[in-house]
Amino acid sequence: MKRAFILLLLVVVGWVLADTFSQINFGESRMGDIKQQETVGAYYLNNTVEKLSVANVVTAIVVNYRGFDTLGEVTVLFLAASGLASILYRRKKRGEHDVMILKNSSQLLQTGAKLIFPAILVLGAYVFIHGHLTPGGGFQGGAIIASGFLLMFMAYKDYHVSHNVLTWVESIAGILFVSVGIWGLISGATFLENILGTGTLNDLVSGGIIPLIYIAVGFKVAAELTGVLETLLNFKTEK
Amino acid sequence: MDPILYNKIISVGVYGSAIGLILIGLYAVLVKKHLTKIVIGLSIIDSGVHLLFIAVGFIKGGTAPIFSEKGIELVNQGTAMVDPVPQALVLTAIVIGFGVTAVALSLVIRLYRHHHTARIDHIKSLKW
Amino acid sequence: MVISPVHYIALPLLAAFLMPLLAKVNRELVRIIPGVVLTYLLFVSVVLMQRVTETGQPIIETLAGWQAPWGINLVFSQFTGFLVSLMVFMATLIWIFSYRFKKVDNEPALKYYILFMMLVTGSVGVVLTGDIFNMFVFMEITAIASYSLTSFYRDRDGAEAGFKYLLIGSLASTFMLLAILLLYTQVGTLNMAMIAERMHTVPVGMKVTILILFLTGLGIEAEMFPLNGWAPDAYSQAPSPVGATFAALVVKAGVYSLIRVIFTLFDIQGAYQYLIIMGIITLIIAEFAAMKQTNLKRMLAYSSIGQMGFVLIAFGIGTKEAVFGALFLMFNHAIIKSLLFMSGSFFVYNSTSKDINGMSGIGKKFPYMGFLFSIGAFAIVGLPPFSGFWSKLYILIAAADESMLALVAIILLVSIVEIVYYFRVVAKLYFGKPTDKEVVHKPTFGGYFSMTVLAVVILLVGFYPDIITGFIHRAADTLLDKGAYISNVLSMGH
Repeated sequence: MKRAFILLLLVVVGWVLADTFSQINFGESRMGDIKQQETVGAYYLNNTVEKLSVANVVTAIVVNYRGFDTLGEVTVLFLAASGLASILYRRKKRGEHDVMILKNSSQLLQTGAKLIFPAILVLGAYVFIHGHLTPGGGFQGGAIIASGFLLMFMAYKDYHVSHNVLTWVESIAGILFVSVGIWGLISGATFLENILGTGTLNDLVSGGIIPLIYIAVGFKVAAELTGVLETLLNFKTEK
Repeated sequence: MDPILYNKIISVGVYGSAIGLILIGLYAVLVKKHLTKIVIGLSIIDSGVHLLFIAVGFIKGGTAPIFSEKGIELVNQGTAMVDPVPQALVLTAIVIGFGVTAVALSLVIRLYRHHHTARIDHIKSLKW
Repeated sequence: MVISPVHYIALPLLAAFLMPLLAKVNRELVRIIPGVVLTYLLFVSVVLMQRVTETGQPIIETLAGWQAPWGINLVFSQFTGFLVSLMVFMATLIWIFSYRFKKVDNEPALKYYILFMMLVTGSVGVVLTGDIFNMFVFMEITAIASYSLTSFYRDRDGAEAGFKYLLIGSLASTFMLLAILLLYTQVGTLNMAMIAERMHTVPVGMKVTILILFLTGLGIEAEMFPLNGWAPDAYSQAPSPVGATFAALVVKAGVYSLIRVIFTLFDIQGAYQYLIIMGIITLIIAEFAAMKQTNLKRMLAYSSIGQMGFVLIAFGIGTKEAVFGALFLMFNHAIIKSLLFMSGSFFVYNSTSKDINGMSGIGKKFPYMGFLFSIGAFAIVGLPPFSGFWSKLYILIAAADESMLALVAIILLVSIVEIVYYFRVVAKLYFGKPTDKEVVHKPTFGGYFSMTVLAVVILLVGFYPDIITGFIHRAADTLLDKGAYISNVLSMGH
């Protein structure tokens, strides 16, 4: 009975969604005439190169046009990390210490992890430093770096990242992001406004505050994701 | 093949798989009894919605909205660029989805600690 | 640096990122910093409200240097300003109330204050922002902070309530995301003023689908029936200051977003009737459920849901008087429900159980606390001369003006139910046989202070409603003037 009801619900939801999206033609341009700029998408495509000299328009939107969203997004991650720590917090009893993974992993994984780990870190850093030029950016780069740490957690059962260091990195990166915003406010412009010179298109140092913010975001995301992984892995059943 | 028919098949495939993911996730959330599976269901719903975002922003024959040297060359030849806004939005949505999943998993761990089970039909202190 | 609305967001965020570092310097800073930030924001509120009232024009702040439809903007009008000031005022009082919270354990205290401050920032951001996707982001900030705070205590029911809330909340955010996506495909912008301007070009079928998605997504935060299953558990399991925050800030943000979407974005008449019907169902079910509760906090939670149903009815009537009444009720609900939660939590703390029966005679032991709780109870059921009386009266008059007499009858009937269950508690407090439990926890000085302030505000507004009605009248006017909203926001760009 309950299952039939659920199936009925799924059919209704599926039908409504299918009906709605059948009205939105796939692959059709909805941005209107790029030169007319009726939609935000057209405006961004048309103005990013000229006004910001940033090659990657998605980065320009994420960090500058809608930078306020990104600040919120970083806050969501920060909150998730804090919430996680608060939900899983237990006062440690004397003599108790964390056991992360009970068994040592295979030789193959250990050697491989040691070999790949530095390369993953470099790749992550490359991705967020070049966020304004190539696909990718702070979030992607941070996630890549955290995946490197995940590999290390899996390979070595007593591999630890100091919580102290993570706290410092994420706090300083967060403060940097907000400070760049407030800097704009203090210098008489608006919050998060691009107050630095934008340089030439496709240079590494171009786009004003955009690479600066994305580097801060990269560090912050990497630290937070690693922190989340570490906290989740620290879980130990009470015997 | 007839281009109109081809277009139709592609669009049914793209939208269909995204909506299918949403329905699969919804099914998992509503039917499954294991908390971890419910969390996985939530993530699947999220993936479906994210795919819809990308699908809606796509423009036929469009290239990535990046003005690298190659990109500028393509634009000068008259190639369209896809709508960058949904891509930017989906980045935010993915990060938020990650945050929610992390908190959800931590709650599952907490519930497992207290009840020594993660099955929803064994956890009923409050009314559901 | 000129004082501007972005301070409401930027400074709490800066403080939140700083707090983990400051906690290493001095443990006490963790408690002081949120208070300093909130006090400063209170000052910002006063300055900005003064500016808005003098000029009569809203303050539109562009962010990142991009004008209205291209970038994100914040709108501090007489309507949003009123709500934001109320939220900051309440948050400051709740901070004072919870100053000694978790004083033995430093690590949870740090997390608690960070999450609490983000809860406040998220709610304020929802109200201030002029961009629909940005509203979603702030909604999620609020939601994630709420999930974590709901399961803050290390007992098992906390985690369960939190998970339940999270399950419903994340489905809600999915709906809202889909609605935003569809809206974007139709109008090609995310700025709310621009969306409102272009809404007439959207086909009707699509418009209704989008509206339904929005109502489902936002109805969950606004505690609208049948999406409020999370609320009683969350309210009863969360720490008391958090329960007060839910009632005073989070629900207000939810109702605001619902109202903004229906009043400004869409121009569908049926939405108003829908609000009235859903409001009535919410009101009736919640009030009768409240009567059955034996747990004090659950009873307060159901009462809170009922009040939100009442607010939705008033917004649904849609005339200027009704909107005025609804905003007045939101104001009253914030101050009264917080007082009830604060004093109620004190009774729960001092009795053996969370049950109302366990509190019998406790009012005799703590006459002042009993007095404060009674003020709250009398005010929320709408007895004169307390502030709750005026809001109920204005809504009834507005309903009668529109000759919705059945509605008037329902509201009066439900009020009787409300009176019954609140008076049952008050009677228990005073006339019940005292239990011989000897544990006595006196509230802290901060607790006394914030509860007294709230009681004084209730009495003051009860006797002199004029001190607040001016603001609410202008807020109602601003909300209803959709054309001015659009032109004010968009004129910045041209």
